[in-house]
Amino acid sequence: MIEGAALGARGTLGLAWRLARRELRGGFAGLRIVIACLALGVAAIAAVGTLRAATEAGLAEDASRLLGGDLEIRSTYQPLPPEGRAWIAARGGRLSEVVQMRAMAIGPSGERSLVELKAVDGAYPLYGALVLDPPVPQGGLMPGGLMPGGLMMDRSIVERLGLKPGDEVRIGEARFPLRAVIVTEPDKVATPAIFGPRAMIPLADVERTALIQPGSMVAYEYRVALPAGADARGFAAALRTQPFADGGWRIRVADQAAPSVTRFVDQAASFLVLAGLTALLVGGIGVATGVRAWLEARARTIATLRCLGAPANLIFATYFAQVMVLAAIGIGIGLVAGYALTWAAASALAGALPVPPRLGLYPWPLALAAIYGLLTALAFSLWPLGRARDIPGAALFRTGLAAPTVRPRLSLVAANAAAALALVGLVVATADRPMFAAWFCLGALATLGMFRLGASLLMAAARAMPRLRMPSVRLGLANLHRPGAPTPIMLVALGIGLTTLAAVAMIEGNLRRQIAESLPEAAPSFYFIDIQADQAEAFDATARALPGVTEVERVPSLRARIVAVDGVPVEQMVVSPETAWALRGDRGLTYTAKMPEGTRLVAGAWWPEEYAGPPLVSFDAGLAAGWGLQLGGTITVNVLGRDIELKVASLRDVAWRSLGINFTLVASPGLLSSAPHTNIATVRNAPGQDTAVLRALTDAFPNISGIRVRDALEAVASLLGRLGTALSSTAAVTLLAGMLVLAGAVAAGQARRVRDAVVLKTVGALRSQIRAAYLVEFGVLGLASGLLAAVAGTIAAWGVVRFVMHADWVFLPGTLASVVGLCLLLTLGFGYVGTSLALRARPAPLLRNE
Amino acid sequence: MTDSTPPLIDARDLSFTVGTAGGPVNILRGVSLTIRPGESVGIVGPSGSGKTTLLMLLAGLERATGGALRVAGLDLGALDEDALARFRRDRLGIVFQAFHLIPTMTALENVAVPLEFAGRRDAFDRAAAALQSVGLGHRLDHYPGQLSGGEQQRVALARAIVGEPQLILADEPTGNLDRGNGTAVMDLLFGLQRDSGTTLLLITHDAALAARCARQIRIEDGRIASDSAVLAEAA
Repeated sequence: MIEGAALGARGTLGLAWRLARRELRGGFAGLRIVIACLALGVAAIAAVGTLRAATEAGLAEDASRLLGGDLEIRSTYQPLPPEGRAWIAARGGRLSEVVQMRAMAIGPSGERSLVELKAVDGAYPLYGALVLDPPVPQGGLMPGGLMPGGLMMDRSIVERLGLKPGDEVRIGEARFPLRAVIVTEPDKVATPAIFGPRAMIPLADVERTALIQPGSMVAYEYRVALPAGADARGFAAALRTQPFADGGWRIRVADQAAPSVTRFVDQAASFLVLAGLTALLVGGIGVATGVRAWLEARARTIATLRCLGAPANLIFATYFAQVMVLAAIGIGIGLVAGYALTWAAASALAGALPVPPRLGLYPWPLALAAIYGLLTALAFSLWPLGRARDIPGAALFRTGLAAPTVRPRLSLVAANAAAALALVGLVVATADRPMFAAWFCLGALATLGMFRLGASLLMAAARAMPRLRMPSVRLGLANLHRPGAPTPIMLVALGIGLTTLAAVAMIEGNLRRQIAESLPEAAPSFYFIDIQADQAEAFDATARALPGVTEVERVPSLRARIVAVDGVPVEQMVVSPETAWALRGDRGLTYTAKMPEGTRLVAGAWWPEEYAGPPLVSFDAGLAAGWGLQLGGTITVNVLGRDIELKVASLRDVAWRSLGINFTLVASPGLLSSAPHTNIATVRNAPGQDTAVLRALTDAFPNISGIRVRDALEAVASLLGRLGTALSSTAAVTLLAGMLVLAGAVAAGQARRVRDAVVLKTVGALRSQIRAAYLVEFGVLGLASGLLAAVAGTIAAWGVVRFVMHADWVFLPGTLASVVGLCLLLTLGFGYVGTSLALRARPAPLLRNE
Repeated sequence: MTDSTPPLIDARDLSFTVGTAGGPVNILRGVSLTIRPGESVGIVGPSGSGKTTLLMLLAGLERATGGALRVAGLDLGALDEDALARFRRDRLGIVFQAFHLIPTMTALENVAVPLEFAGRRDAFDRAAAALQSVGLGHRLDHYPGQLSGGEQQRVALARAIVGEPQLILADEPTGNLDRGNGTAVMDLLFGLQRDSGTTLLLITHDAALAARCARQIRIEDGRIASDSAVLAEAA
């Protein structure tokens, strides 16, 4: 007899490692699904993370170029006073002045378009280069490359107006010969041309256009290049304290060049990461089933080892080591693939990204993706591993199906729960919007539970079916509930992939609909801006007299910057994240004595028509709630450099989506009516009259610009479309993961399917009958998961549209039907392939005695 | 029974060759054989002699590479895969050493399946009766994994006889069973054959079992080495 000493912990690990290696030497075909599932999910997350890091690095590195200077002072309506220029120059700052406004550009043919006009001085650009086509010839030019009297425009508008170099374009009251096409505008990210293409003229020529009139919507931007080593923030802080400084100024330093872009990148990335996590979740199911099947195939080996005296911990350590080795391989492949994908995505998205991403190795997003992968592997493999640990040696002597259901021991259940919790914790902690991420995790869990429950119900229903006359249908339905049937795994894997797809499709569909379909009845045809007070009456009369015009509405329009609420400066305010936007930049402000039609007051009352007291304001109820602002509170706004305190008299529900004239702030007349300001008008006209209306009004009033609502919405729609494409492709990764798991489940059952098909053929079943039985099985499975995915996807999309995007919800049956249809096609496709392969098997070799 | 009854099995110069990496291997080399309805035939021979291949050819599960084979009046060489399946469904019952039950179907479902595919409305009633006749009336809803080897083979037997076939092919039906269970299954098989007058072709290397058949054929190296019927005729 051999005396054995108890194995120490180190001995166990060493032996487990040797056993694990010995077994993996024989190949790990059964665990390839584990590798593939982890690789796919990790790749998606690594790619999104790297792309985000690269984009942000691109933004940071080029910050000065993007902003146009180390520092920018932006003022609406009023230029920088001479003291300001002197102050900056005295501190070694180089100044460049840019004036921006919207204007109409009218070609020689009379064809016209709204442009974002930018008048730049000779110092422009302080950083980077303005690239023009044709390139500017040497000599006789201003330092910035702009010729006096010349006009530069984006290629899109040059083409739309059918212009050749030298053609004269009218802007406001002035005419400019077209000198060149703008190829690259270095500071485009920080000052994007939103409503129309860019047009550029020298600053010296801006006066000729006569576009700058009292109250016109003009932004003055002063970019400052600081001497090397100067502290931009300190400079900005000192500037703010100067007596000439204006409360209405917005001062940005280079590292905040594009806060809105950064915000957009952060939010888009965090949505994409969640979509990637869904892929990983589906992959996790693949891991669980792959590991389970692998261990089931090794049940005899495990029982044999147990008979030979292997302790349970050794068994656990052996198989844990195997799974972890393969998980590491999967994660490694995922990281490499994800990194490679970043490059592919960067080139595919070249036009859509705000800056060219600075591709490089960013360790943090890769590490995060690896941790996600590892936690997923742990969370989904510990349970089956724990069960294998407790397979008794006696199992060797049992035959057949009746595998004992072993529950893993408590410590392993606890470890499994800890891994799952850590996964959730990591998702929430690294999310841009933790609350949303928490809801996402809860939703994912609920969806998982729903599909598992759905599978149980489907199996119970199949079991309860009365015996059907058609043998193929009976057999197909019976296959759904047979012992060891893969119904739950198939339903869950396919279902979650499709739920993501359904949700994304519905969200996208809702956004598109909101833009495209709510338009015809609700929206006006045009906004006209910069209508001077002395033009107002004439504008109304001219517009109303035009054929096809059905409605003209006009209100005074001022731009105001909110500087304090209830006496608290905005920098010190604590507001809800959804309402923070309203504190950045300018807000629209109008005044009126009468309550506008369709106003929905939720609190307070409108002022009397003849009211002449201190200024009152009716404010957006949603913003007020987010800021903790009550009736009777005060909002201090800066209008044209002057601070005005407005008392909140009422709160309104603002229906932004009506696309009519909406203002955050509606004030009582009086004080504000005396401030220089312009008017804004909406014009509604018969379809097909757009061109004529725009032409007539902008010919009559050269300083007035018309914005075609449809054009503006199309610009927004195309932006959303790009985001939608990114989301859809990430959802597609989830579906791909689902298909992988489905394929894995089909493949795992393939040996059984082949054997069954052979036996059925032997006892006289026709191929068509066998195929029909499998198609019934897969068809019902596909239909069930498609329908469940439709329900879950609808709920998820509804939640996102209503509570994250704060938009109206529309149910889109067509979109859902295509998701269910896709599901059915997928499962039938997989089923058909699996069955055809099974039917092709020759019976004799399988039937011979073993 | 007279010589004028048409034979149930009529094999002429059957051969079966498979191509392997090492060149073609002849498994059957010209087997000619006539079996009349109601006969019980034991086929014996050493492992690898071609017994099972002969059974596969008779069942239409393999195709002969040479010669002619008619079973129950049908030229098996001329039938396509589905026609062969119909032939098995309507005329044949097969019992294998490894049972070949579908593990995810209950005993009742396993037995009913061929009748279901034949479109018989009474499939489940007849299957229950067949299981009853093999002494498993109390195990209808058990899965094969929940049955002993002997019980599983009795389910296979019930499946083979449930369609009242003209021919039962049995390939080492007791090979996986202990002596007691083996004897019980064989008693059952011979009893059913005797009662229904079905033709039985039994492959075995158990000489004692073969001896219970009215006729014994010995196959060696792909050829018929001896046939008791021929010997009797010669005597």
